[in-house]
Amino acid sequence: MTHKTLTRRSVAKGLALTAGALAMPAISARAQVQSVKMAMVAPLSGPWARQGQLLRMGAEMAIDDINTAGGIKSLGGAKFELVVADAGDSTEKAKNAAQRLLADQPDLIGGFGAWLSSFTLSVTEVTERAQLPWLTLSYSDAITNRGFKFIFQTSPTADHQAAETIPKALDLAQTATGKRPRTVGLIMDNTASPVSFAKPLRDGGFEKAGLKPVVDEVYTPPLSDATPLVEKVRSAKPDFLLLLTSAMPDCKQVLEKLDEFKLARGKLPLVGNGAPFGAPELLKTIDAELLEGLLFSVANWPLKGQEDFIERFKKRTGEPWLTQDGLCGYGHTQILKAALEAAGAAAKLKVADAIRAMDLTTGPAAQCFPGPIKFDDKGRRIDVPMIFAQWQKGVPLSVYPTDRALAKPFWPSV
Amino acid sequence: MRTRAQVNRHRWAILGVAVFVVLLALVLKSAYYQLILTQVLLWAVLSLAWNLLSGYSGYFSFGHAAFWGLGAYTVALGMIDLNLTPWVAIPFCAIVGAVAAAVIGFPTFRLRGHYFALAMLAYPLATLYVFQWLGYQELTLPMKRESAAAYMQFSDPRIYVLLALGLLVATLLISLTVENSRFGMALTAIKQNEPAAEAAGINTWRWKMLALMLSGAVAATAGGLYAVVQFVVTPESVFGMLVSAQALILALFGGVGSLWGPLIGAAVLVPLAEGLNAELGDKLPGIQGVVYGIAIILIILLAPEGVYWRVLDRLSRRKPASPVAPREAPAPVPIAPRPRAATASDILVLRGVGISFGGLRALDGVDLAVPKGGLYGIIGPNGAGKTTLFNVINGFLSPDSGTIEFAGAPLMGLRPNQVCRRGIGRTFQVVRAFPRMTVLENVIVGAYVGAANDAAAERMALAALDRVRLSDRGNAIAGGLTTRELRLMELARALVPHPRLMLLDETLAGLGHDDLDGILGVIRQLRDDGITVLIIEHTMQAMVQLVDHFSVLDHGRLIAAGKPEAVVRDRSVIEAYLGKKWVEQVRVAAK
Repeated sequence: MTHKTLTRRSVAKGLALTAGALAMPAISARAQVQSVKMAMVAPLSGPWARQGQLLRMGAEMAIDDINTAGGIKSLGGAKFELVVADAGDSTEKAKNAAQRLLADQPDLIGGFGAWLSSFTLSVTEVTERAQLPWLTLSYSDAITNRGFKFIFQTSPTADHQAAETIPKALDLAQTATGKRPRTVGLIMDNTASPVSFAKPLRDGGFEKAGLKPVVDEVYTPPLSDATPLVEKVRSAKPDFLLLLTSAMPDCKQVLEKLDEFKLARGKLPLVGNGAPFGAPELLKTIDAELLEGLLFSVANWPLKGQEDFIERFKKRTGEPWLTQDGLCGYGHTQILKAALEAAGAAAKLKVADAIRAMDLTTGPAAQCFPGPIKFDDKGRRIDVPMIFAQWQKGVPLSVYPTDRALAKPFWPSV
Repeated sequence: MRTRAQVNRHRWAILGVAVFVVLLALVLKSAYYQLILTQVLLWAVLSLAWNLLSGYSGYFSFGHAAFWGLGAYTVALGMIDLNLTPWVAIPFCAIVGAVAAAVIGFPTFRLRGHYFALAMLAYPLATLYVFQWLGYQELTLPMKRESAAAYMQFSDPRIYVLLALGLLVATLLISLTVENSRFGMALTAIKQNEPAAEAAGINTWRWKMLALMLSGAVAATAGGLYAVVQFVVTPESVFGMLVSAQALILALFGGVGSLWGPLIGAAVLVPLAEGLNAELGDKLPGIQGVVYGIAIILIILLAPEGVYWRVLDRLSRRKPASPVAPREAPAPVPIAPRPRAATASDILVLRGVGISFGGLRALDGVDLAVPKGGLYGIIGPNGAGKTTLFNVINGFLSPDSGTIEFAGAPLMGLRPNQVCRRGIGRTFQVVRAFPRMTVLENVIVGAYVGAANDAAAERMALAALDRVRLSDRGNAIAGGLTTRELRLMELARALVPHPRLMLLDETLAGLGHDDLDGILGVIRQLRDDGITVLIIEHTMQAMVQLVDHFSVLDHGRLIAAGKPEAVVRDRSVIEAYLGKKWVEQVRVAAK
């Protein structure tokens, strides 16, 4: 007759087996669950804090979406993590932030930022030397002119933007009114982006479009008084006004002065460039009627097919509408995720190779940007259409490209 | 002025700092910390450059960003347009900075105090807009993949630390040399009392320009190295207000006008601000500005002149006050009494001198002939124009009519320090001392104009102190002297370059009966030694005893001149002093 006795040996064996059984999932879990880190450097304090925060909101939403859907699949479901550094209010702070980030986080696989073109220049001087692939929505000429191999600019260059904006605006006018504008007025400040935008126009761009600039005024911000500028516009009577202001207070001054001189509310069509022209802040200080019909070209703006995403963003953040910043924050994160999936390893050099080889037309990353996600050897996107948005009833909606626009454009006329 | 031993101690301290920084660079492995260390060193150099001008001379500049930015752009544009390596461009920045400083100094040194500071503010602001207009909004130094070292591009950030350290050590040595030379004394004298320095023969304009040019050269060089480290140059980042403010704040915090102050300020404030920005920047936006503001407030309340001076005060208070050992005065240099000229030639001749201040005619057709050797008095009621007369002779004011001749040569149009060089010494109605210098140093300042070197200046100063019998107070700080001692010190300072004419402005004012005798004795001794003395006084009594000749000034006009006995009885003099009513009383009493 054999009976099981609780000998010491059996207890020990039993405990060992139990321990082993308990340990097994832990061991395999440790092998499976790791996190992959990406960075964002953007102004989170100082005059551009809001833009940085919007970028962050977009990026964090993307991180959550990615992790909820199972993380990075080619890395065994690894979690995607965002590390953030504040670029502050000066190029020195931006560079310090990037350097600090790299020192604290040696395992970064890539990143994006820093919104303001001069900050992006500073940050990328650091990331290039660290061979960290970097995405940005800034577009001043210098960014992709340095022969850098690890910079990827998702916005079209200033040259391209200028070359696209004017003819498309003229086409729009012709379609809407049957007449093609012949004269243009230009009011701009002398910061980097408007200067990059206006240079090719003055160097033959206007002529090629069949336009004569009858007003060409450059001011140094901050604008103290818009009267002399608008007086010139009133006496020259251009067919439309190209407004290249970067600071909202300056934009407000010009619009209100135009109103004072009875040139607003549809009398003089206004065309701008850049996402700040669609910022919700404009509505807080400028009358919606003055903004009605203001057309602006922008590198990225919510399009058809993104309605669901737009609603989710609005609900999550409480923002009145989605702008370029939130959209690019989300999109850049998705691009890095797609690169990770293709690379199959959490290694920055492999991720950089994957981005260089990228040609995405579908998927969450591609949906965030007009045109395919494909970069040339300088890090610029090839064949990217400009988006146009227009203020209609207090909301700036995309109106071009026609097949992806959320609204129909109109050309203001009296 | 420091002794040789003290200077050497500072040299050793500079070496010590250099060694410490090198060790720190080796120990700190993180590229981030090395970048911050480089920035601390560069900002310290800018602050030291600011200190060279503003700390030592008191001419506060709010515009040093102009030099910093010009240096940065020189390096950036040199590399972009001319493919010039920073190894060449950075030393060239020194020339750029010095030239810019000369251009800025010419118009701006016509201003003083707050006006100077505000005017300096204008230069970087204007230059910022100029560079924006020129199209240089964003410049990046091109990355040189081959021959990087030839373009000062290193993958190891520690090399930048060494470069910045080299610049810091050079600047510290320059500051040390300036502090302990005639240059430094002149700047200190300018800071503590500029008119006195002028009257004592210091060419204030020249020293101020030199200080600004040196300051500009150093600041521009540092700016050039900054561009190399940052790679990106924008008008806002190098010409902005914050750059000028940083130069100031670091020096004010650390110890303005001292060798170590700027470095202390940089070593504390720069890492503090960056650390706060790193930890709390996104949670508490603008924290860096808050910290700087609090630092300034604390310093103003607790240590107005900066950390360094406060610590020094504390340490020196702890030591028991060593008795002021009277210096071993060498045998006084005897002044051979000048023989009286055979013909009574006049040493100072004024003809028809006049000056107006707006509608007030302060001096009107004043004729004066001061004979050589002797005591000549100028007397008159308050507001008569006596001090104005001295200021006109001295060069502080320019007459709008008339001529002034000294020893046969015209004197108008000369600046006070040039008048002093001609041989005219001056004391002031309210003693103009250099309050923080010792009595001996005060007098040495007056000696520079005539001394071949600093050692001779010191000897002459000691002799002058002996002459006025103030040798025992040589080491006392001028701020703590009695009125009598101050008057004697000022006399010594005016005496030390062996002037031929002394202008004494109410030297006897504020003195008690005993003190009066002492000073009168010194003044008589001057006359006996052959110096012509022109003295302004208020009180008839003292003057009548003292002087050989008299002139009486009233409402800018000379109303009497001659021997004391005659002048005292002059009717118009009595009217001016006592009034017509009293004239009648005197006549009635005389009857």
